[in-house]
Amino acid sequence: MTASILYIEDDLEIGRFVNEHLQAQGYTVNWQRTGEGALTAAEGCRLVILDVMLPGLDGFTIGQRLKKAMPDVLILMLSARTSIDDKLQGLQFADDYLTKPFHPDELTARIEVLLRRSGARLAEPLAIKHLLVYEQQNRIENRDSGAEIMLTGKQFHIFSYLLRHLGQILTKEQIYEAIWGEAYMDGDKTLMVHIRYLREKIERDPASPKIIETVRGIGYRVRP
Amino acid sequence: MKTPKERLNRLRFRQTLLSRYLLIILFAFLFIPIVLPIATFAYVIVQENVKRADDSYLKYGSSSEITAMWHEQAALLGQADAASVDRKLEELRLKYTEASLFWVDSSGTTMLQLPPQERLPIHWSPADAVQFMKNSIDSDPFTIVSFLGAEHEGPAFMVMQIPRSIIQLDRPIGSGTPFYVAILLIMIGLFFLLSLLFFRQIRKRLIGLQAAMSLQGNQSLPQPIVISRHDEIGQLETAFNLMVEQLRESKERELAEEKLRKQLIANLSHDLRTPLTVMNSQLYSLSREPLSVNGQTVIKQMELKIGSLDNLIENLLSYTLMTSGRYPIKLEQQDLLRIVRESAASWYPLWEQEGIAADIDLPDEAMLLEVDKAGFRRVLDNVFQNVIRHAKSGSYIGIKVETYEGRLALVIRDHGNGLDAHTSSKGAGLGLAIVNYLLHEMRLDWHMASSSDGMTIYIFEQ
Repeated sequence: MTASILYIEDDLEIGRFVNEHLQAQGYTVNWQRTGEGALTAAEGCRLVILDVMLPGLDGFTIGQRLKKAMPDVLILMLSARTSIDDKLQGLQFADDYLTKPFHPDELTARIEVLLRRSGARLAEPLAIKHLLVYEQQNRIENRDSGAEIMLTGKQFHIFSYLLRHLGQILTKEQIYEAIWGEAYMDGDKTLMVHIRYLREKIERDPASPKIIETVRGIGYRVRP
Repeated sequence: MKTPKERLNRLRFRQTLLSRYLLIILFAFLFIPIVLPIATFAYVIVQENVKRADDSYLKYGSSSEITAMWHEQAALLGQADAASVDRKLEELRLKYTEASLFWVDSSGTTMLQLPPQERLPIHWSPADAVQFMKNSIDSDPFTIVSFLGAEHEGPAFMVMQIPRSIIQLDRPIGSGTPFYVAILLIMIGLFFLLSLLFFRQIRKRLIGLQAAMSLQGNQSLPQPIVISRHDEIGQLETAFNLMVEQLRESKERELAEEKLRKQLIANLSHDLRTPLTVMNSQLYSLSREPLSVNGQTVIKQMELKIGSLDNLIENLLSYTLMTSGRYPIKLEQQDLLRIVRESAASWYPLWEQEGIAADIDLPDEAMLLEVDKAGFRRVLDNVFQNVIRHAKSGSYIGIKVETYEGRLALVIRDHGNGLDAHTSSKGAGLGLAIVNYLLHEMRLDWHMASSSDGMTIYIFEQ
């Protein structure tokens, strides 16, 4: 499935390059050089990539209007403005903020993460090591045996949270606060216990886990 | 329209506190020579009035009035016979009921007595008359003797005796002194009250001014105050309002300048980074072409250089903002280790990629400190960046909590070539200057220990 992207960038060279790069990745791209008519152009798009410094309306204003009109559309700011203030201002409405110069691979990686996190769930199952994860059906299958793996509510929550942040290391505080919705307390072992049970269900060898990897001193990670 | 300054100078003397103070002083000086005589004068006048009031209160008038009346009656009876004198006395007796009346005829015989008195001689010898007169002087009752006849030629005479309490009020001399003292005391009290009120008012206004100075309105500036009176304190208040106005203006100027500077930096950042972005994307396209191994290496090198140039621009712009005090720092109680873990999580993939082994050993207990989260992330970013750039050869990064000089410290250690490697490469100095600035702003201290085995950075509370 290809997602369609609205890309607003006034610089010709960067615009042409990004346009081609994204098309090469299989996305349908609508490249506009100004923010005028962005609202109509964004119809039917999953994601909008916005530059900040544009002729006429600036990217922040366009982004805010877009988010207000279409809360479901994802917004990725792609800007040469790197100050904390700018990032904070951008992230008030945008879903991600990438600074220029950027590596094209990072751009595509971020777009993928955004699309996945937003629940634009992939029709094809996600294959991780010996597991097949059907995100739409909330189903996890063991490829070795073809059997479905049943998880408890919390276990499934934790696992899908890690999957949404594929390749990203998450600290125990981040996971705890995302799943339980309350502030993490020092020395709380709840998450560790849940992860241990989760591993027993999904890992081939829970003693040396391959799917949910422990990054010592930091947290956990699921690598694609 | 008058400017406030003109208003300050055009202060009328009678409006000043000085004039009022001088008035009070003058009052104090005039106390003895003016107030005392005034009080005395008032006393005398009051006394007189009181006396006159007393006189009119007396039933038969004062002693002199009665004496005059008696002499007048005596003069009318000059040629009268004994019977008409008796009648006259009886008539008078009806009017002056408290009085004792009698008369003595020309032969010296006591005639009518109203009422009869025992001690009077029947026949008056000259010695009797002298004795009677002598006894009567200044005694009670008050005695009036009058010879009959127009010229009071005598020798017949008539006598009226009347108790002194009826013709004279019993009022000792000096009975008005308490009144006099009271007037003086009231005057002194009035003086004290006046000076007290004067100073109380000054004090109240000064305290009001002080409160206005310590009170902070919007933009953390004091608010202008209402000018109560146009005297010296009024001038002070005007000057205060002027100062508040100037402060507000300079604050606005400062904000405008800050905005301008931020705009400038944002534009600069945009203008510098746009070409870098173009270069980066073109390199990316180039790397997709079939190239020799050498060509790929060159591209890799250029990508690295673009990365470090980008970093340098970032640091330069941040440092400009910081040194001009425009970098927002918001201190909040936070778990330092949590920030460290989050930062390390984002750097970890890069360390893996560069073959740097991360040895992270942080305790479970929170390390609560007053820090700015974004600022501290920036510190860590700069330190980690330096490790990747200058200490890659050590293939090691250690992040721990240890004690340093008796204090708990966050320790970041590498196994590179030490300080030389860090400082000799351009750009590292700026990164560390930012670290230094931010840590200082967050009231944290740091220490850098360098040897040929690598470098260790300790971050601890001041």
